[in-house]
Amino acid sequence: MRYYIGAEARLRRTIEDAAMSVFESWSYEEVITPSVDYYDLFEQGMGPAEAQRGFRFTDSDGRLLALRPDVTSSVARVAATLLADRPRPLRFCYAAPVFRQQPQSHAEWRRENTQLGCELIGAGGKQADLEVLRLAAEILTRLNLQSSYCITINNVEFFNGVAAELNLDTPAREQFRRLIDTREAAELERFLKHNGRAFSQLTQLTGKRDVIQAARGLIDNERSVAALDSLEELWTEIEALGLQNSFELDLGDVPSLDYYTGLSLKIFVHGAGASVGRGGRYDGLTGNFGRAEPAVGFVLNLDALTEVVGRRAAKD
Amino acid sequence: MITIAIAKGRMQDDALSLLARAGIRLNAEQVNSRRLALEDESGEYRFIFVKPADVPVYVEHGIADCGVVGRDVLLESEADLLLPLDLGIARCRIVVAAADPDVMTRAVGMLRVATKYSQIAAAHFGARGMPVEIISLSGSVELAPALGLSDLIVDLVETGRTLRENGLTVVDEITESTGRLVVNRASYQLKAEAVARLVNALRSALNGGEPA
Repeated sequence: MRYYIGAEARLRRTIEDAAMSVFESWSYEEVITPSVDYYDLFEQGMGPAEAQRGFRFTDSDGRLLALRPDVTSSVARVAATLLADRPRPLRFCYAAPVFRQQPQSHAEWRRENTQLGCELIGAGGKQADLEVLRLAAEILTRLNLQSSYCITINNVEFFNGVAAELNLDTPAREQFRRLIDTREAAELERFLKHNGRAFSQLTQLTGKRDVIQAARGLIDNERSVAALDSLEELWTEIEALGLQNSFELDLGDVPSLDYYTGLSLKIFVHGAGASVGRGGRYDGLTGNFGRAEPAVGFVLNLDALTEVVGRRAAKD
Repeated sequence: MITIAIAKGRMQDDALSLLARAGIRLNAEQVNSRRLALEDESGEYRFIFVKPADVPVYVEHGIADCGVVGRDVLLESEADLLLPLDLGIARCRIVVAAADPDVMTRAVGMLRVATKYSQIAAAHFGARGMPVEIISLSGSVELAPALGLSDLIVDLVETGRTLRENGLTVVDEITESTGRLVVNRASYQLKAEAVARLVNALRSALNGGEPA
């Protein structure tokens, strides 16, 4: 429960306007979605584990409603239904509060936080991935954070390939994912017993281009190699834009959201103790609403950004 | 500079001697004083000393970049942290103990479990489908069965002496706990080099050094 008053509110508004004007300059149209919708929508969009963190209540006819825990689910449904006949790709952006239940004193999200986000729907491949990465970089530069941010990228297919190679059942796959995501090398080695040693190095694949070479030395299944190929292509583009100092490859970043299907990204800024944004490719999402097509996007946490930018301004 | 939160108490001495083997030394006089924040001799690291349960909180919020804390505390806190190293220090077990070892098999209805580790206990009995009533205590858990507050306890055991002296026996081992290095997710990326230096120094101290 956070109030913004006077100068703080102005700063927050300035940051929101900066992000929205960058989105607009890339031809992203603003979309405003309902704050309250049927819970089913979010369960279909985010998967039950994430959607359950939403605040739920019942409608007068007993149907389950929720305060939106994300905007992406609503945008995906709109794209697949109301806007099914519009020419692709669709470009949408928003600045909207989302609501999630949070255990006390956890760092990352408050109960309510405002997402600055964009979705690029109906466009697959490297160029679409690169477009959203460039957008994120441009917004952070617009906020004078150009030398203070780091965007980590990964491709979840790299992990999926390894998990398939190991032939893990669902609970084991989840444990494997968690051990990599929290970089528990020793535990991972114990968990995998036979081929533990090679795979435990998966937790240490963080850095620039050389990470891809190191990963190729460890993993040779087709699916993971295809993921590495596409990451390498993306990295080449990032280098061509001169952004390699602000980006990092992190093959150990395996988000719990089951809907990412390719690129995944996290955004960090000096002065913020947790990530200030995240995103990725979720080609499976719009299919849940009846029209399967590629989609990619990200969100920035406006409240976290306001705090960082405000603290920097106070220091200067 | 990297800030490291150290769990006060059991963990502290082992953690500091491991850090010393990794070449990170603290002024002994300062450590023995009651100061809660100090720098190492190189000035590269700042140390803060906090209660074990607060280590994950400081690190998750990024106030401390890294921390040293037991796995028992991490399991209980559910904080979102990176855990790159098992430091192997302050080794102990988390166990289920009872005054009457047959209580688990003979019990009908609901067992009462006294513990400082309510999350771990709930997860353990939940996974076995055993209905239990968890009673959260903040210390001297061994007393609970003797005084009739609970049938079982879930607690940390190093030597087992406290259990024996209170007439309790271990009926089940839940997991083992050792000191862990924890790292904030943002620091892991934004201070990547400094964090990697610390992790590598500790790793080679673990591989090369003799136990403290």
